[in-house]
Amino acid sequence: MLINALLGFIQALLLLLLTPLFTGISRKLRARIQTRKGAPILQDYYDLAKLFSRQEMVTKNAGPIFKWMPAIYLGSYFAIAMGLPLLTANSPIPFLADVITIIYLLAVPRFFFALASIDTSSSFAGVGGVRELIVSTLVEPGMMLSLIVVALLAGTTSITEISIMNLTGNIPALMAFVVAGIAFAYCTYIELGKLPYDLAEAEQELQEGPLTEYSGASLAFLKLGMGLKQLVMLGLFIAIFLPFGASLDGSFISVVLAAVILIVEILVIYFIVGIIENVVARVRFANASHQIWVSLGIASLAFVFLIVGI
Amino acid sequence: MTFGAVSIVLISIAISAVGAIVALLFKSNFSLNKNLSSVIGIVAALYGIYAGFLGMTGQGELVSYATPFPFASLSLLVNPLSGLLLFVLSLLALVAWIYGLSYMDEYKKQGAMTFGFFMHTFILSMALVVLADNAFWFLVFFELMSLTSYFLVTIEQSKASTHAGLMYMVMAHAGLLMIMAAFLMFGSQAGSLEFEAFRQTQLSPVLASTVFLLTFIGFGIKAGMIPFHSWLPLAHPSAPSNISALMSGGMIKIGIFGIVKVAFDLLQGSEQMIWWGIVIIGFGAVSSLLGIIYALVENDVKRFLAYSSVENIGIILLGVGVSLVGVASGNNVLAILGLAGGLFHLLNHAVFKGLLFLGAGSITFAAHTKNMELLGGLGRLMPITATCFLIGSLAISALPPLNGFVSEWLIYQGLFNSIMSEGIVVMIVSAVAIVALALTGALAVTCFVKAYGVSFAGSPRSDQAANAKEVPAPMKIAMLILAVFCVILGVGAHFIVPVFSSIAKATALSQGAEVTASVALVNPASSAFTSTFVIAVVLLIAILVARLIHNIFGGNQFGEKVALPWATGYKPDVEMAVTATTFATGVEHFYDFFYDLRRNLSSGKGGVARAFDSIVNGARNIEPVSDKYLVDDTVRDVESMSEKIRRIASGDFQKYVLYIVGALIVLLALAVIL
Repeated sequence: MLINALLGFIQALLLLLLTPLFTGISRKLRARIQTRKGAPILQDYYDLAKLFSRQEMVTKNAGPIFKWMPAIYLGSYFAIAMGLPLLTANSPIPFLADVITIIYLLAVPRFFFALASIDTSSSFAGVGGVRELIVSTLVEPGMMLSLIVVALLAGTTSITEISIMNLTGNIPALMAFVVAGIAFAYCTYIELGKLPYDLAEAEQELQEGPLTEYSGASLAFLKLGMGLKQLVMLGLFIAIFLPFGASLDGSFISVVLAAVILIVEILVIYFIVGIIENVVARVRFANASHQIWVSLGIASLAFVFLIVGI
Repeated sequence: MTFGAVSIVLISIAISAVGAIVALLFKSNFSLNKNLSSVIGIVAALYGIYAGFLGMTGQGELVSYATPFPFASLSLLVNPLSGLLLFVLSLLALVAWIYGLSYMDEYKKQGAMTFGFFMHTFILSMALVVLADNAFWFLVFFELMSLTSYFLVTIEQSKASTHAGLMYMVMAHAGLLMIMAAFLMFGSQAGSLEFEAFRQTQLSPVLASTVFLLTFIGFGIKAGMIPFHSWLPLAHPSAPSNISALMSGGMIKIGIFGIVKVAFDLLQGSEQMIWWGIVIIGFGAVSSLLGIIYALVENDVKRFLAYSSVENIGIILLGVGVSLVGVASGNNVLAILGLAGGLFHLLNHAVFKGLLFLGAGSITFAAHTKNMELLGGLGRLMPITATCFLIGSLAISALPPLNGFVSEWLIYQGLFNSIMSEGIVVMIVSAVAIVALALTGALAVTCFVKAYGVSFAGSPRSDQAANAKEVPAPMKIAMLILAVFCVILGVGAHFIVPVFSSIAKATALSQGAEVTASVALVNPASSAFTSTFVIAVVLLIAILVARLIHNIFGGNQFGEKVALPWATGYKPDVEMAVTATTFATGVEHFYDFFYDLRRNLSSGKGGVARAFDSIVNGARNIEPVSDKYLVDDTVRDVESMSEKIRRIASGDFQKYVLYIVGALIVLLALAVIL
């Protein structure tokens, strides 16, 4: 139990420490696609170090929610990252690795993120917070249904069991599994907050929305937190649909190997995401729902395949 | 069995009765009346909590007293199900009384003298409904409950509250009528009005289904299920907030109790059918989704909470429906999982909705408005209220590790298992219900970020809000009690869920059925269950460490500088910040379908309204026929008599209702004394 918790901690720490690297690579990729030279890959580490040494500004009337939010935000994603079965096929903390639990856990940072945005009294932040919530209401049905479909295939809502089913290749209805994977990948992409769905923290539209009024260490925490959120979402996708590296026996060598494979997988996904986000334009927020509801449609299709058994 | 659960409830009820009389005796002295009523109420509630606890964990105890009416001996039953309801009602009564010690001062001018009397009779009638094991007395107490609460709804005596009260009366009686019809049908087959006889009776499938549907709708009205919910957002906000807590947390649960009691308990002699469960799941999914969607556009904090009650009733119904599918198909795992989730959510909703209504009461107490647009920034001025309201908001949004999450998790597991195990119809309905529940969950988060954010966060948007003060100690204590319950019921789920699985087992399965002890705790397919305790520990440690690091690296290193929010260079204005309407317009844009639906249904020319109109007109045309042949002669006699009656009847609707209350109490007294 304690060993497992330690493993979960190491896994989450690894993701956290690599977060600025991945966002840095993402920045570099965008620059190269736009035929710019771009900042160095490690630029995001320098930015964070700089932010940690700056003074904080707090808006008038902002209360404890505003001040506590960065810690709650980063802390909850860190906790979620501890539970994902990424390095080992068995989740380090099995209670966290349940598809229903994890969807509700993801709502914890979102709740405070949106609440803090209102607490700033700033209209940009507030609108961003409301957007974050509304987008999540559009994404969640499709996300839940696609996860329920894979859970039904495994006969359990435990992500560990789903992972193992995938690893051992015992998938009763492959078609349903693949289509559910497409639906979930789409939901994950929206949650990443990349173009065309960069809605809540839209730099050009809303001055980074809920981040508008944050500065100094708080801003650094939030930047880290948002990067970690992307990795957690990708991690969830990888754990369920692409758990190729995850170690079944938990030996040291296989765990290290799993870490390497995981990093490669994330890099590949970041590369694909980077290309997508650089060739599309922002979707208008008012029209976002038409596109996002499609995720529920795809998930329903997966459910139909499940009933048919293909 | 000298002091069984039933005796203890009777003590509690007797104390309440004494309280009601005391409230009448000291009519002239407001503060004495209030304090005395409250203290008596607190004692009665403590007895009720104890009895409820005994009932939940006990085997069931039936006591029958002979009454002057041979068809209706006063049978009282305390079993795990009624014990749970007693516990819920008494807990809410306890905090309502404590809260009232300060809060009722607001109602000094508005006929609050009778407040003590009606609140006592309301609480005791609810307890008796839950206990009654005879159809006649059940209906009597049910009616008494509706009538006494009518007075509590109209206590403000404003135009709005009178209208709400009337609406409430009409709906309550429509429901009562259906339940009465069902019980009479049932009774004629059973040859007795005793519920014990009902249980032994086997009804034909058609009759059983009729009884089920009638009671489902009848109790569904009481529960505030969509489409029979229209009275709820009117009535609950009109009452004083501690009574709203009692109504929204407690009374509507009696609707759920009725559905469960009839479908699982009374109809156990007949064959329960799978489609009953499907109907319940369907209504549950619709209520939960539409309830929360309508809540989102409310600006009045209490109406908002009332709509959210509709949502939570829907969630509870999902659990109940799953369980009924399980019972009908002989799937014991499903039966227990669903009902345990539903009943646990019943308790949880009572706790957090009670808390939120008390919080709303504190807002109106401090800022004298229910309109969230005029609030804002209360968090700094009322820290305890804000913290309690935040805990309630987190719990009702089903965020782990608080209590709402645990019960919703169980209901998800119930739906999940019903997809796996039953036929294609159940499969599809359950999948739709899961999607509806997921959407409801995301919308609930949006809703309660709005409620807390717009009221407590940010800057005050009116002088009332800027000058608000923290509420007095009794109100804080009442809220803190419920807030602590939210945390304990969530984090301690490991110990509490087994209690609910045993209640569910006792309710849903006949005595003989054996199920492995831990079935409702463990998802049978995965043998993995949720442990909110572990989740709480991991979350807390992660957040606290993050905060610590934040503080070390800068957070407080250089101190903070306070600045105005950035507004593209203009001077920031409170009008610029997010308000309740910001949420409403955003959501309305994306979910316009549901709001169109509502507009069409309530525009007055929709199908439902038209049907209602034609029934009323039809009845009006039939009316004179009987007059001609039957009534005219009698009227002459009656008229002379009514001359005499006119002295006591003043033509006031309230007074007429009061007479009925009096008559019911006399009836009850007769039964007890003789």
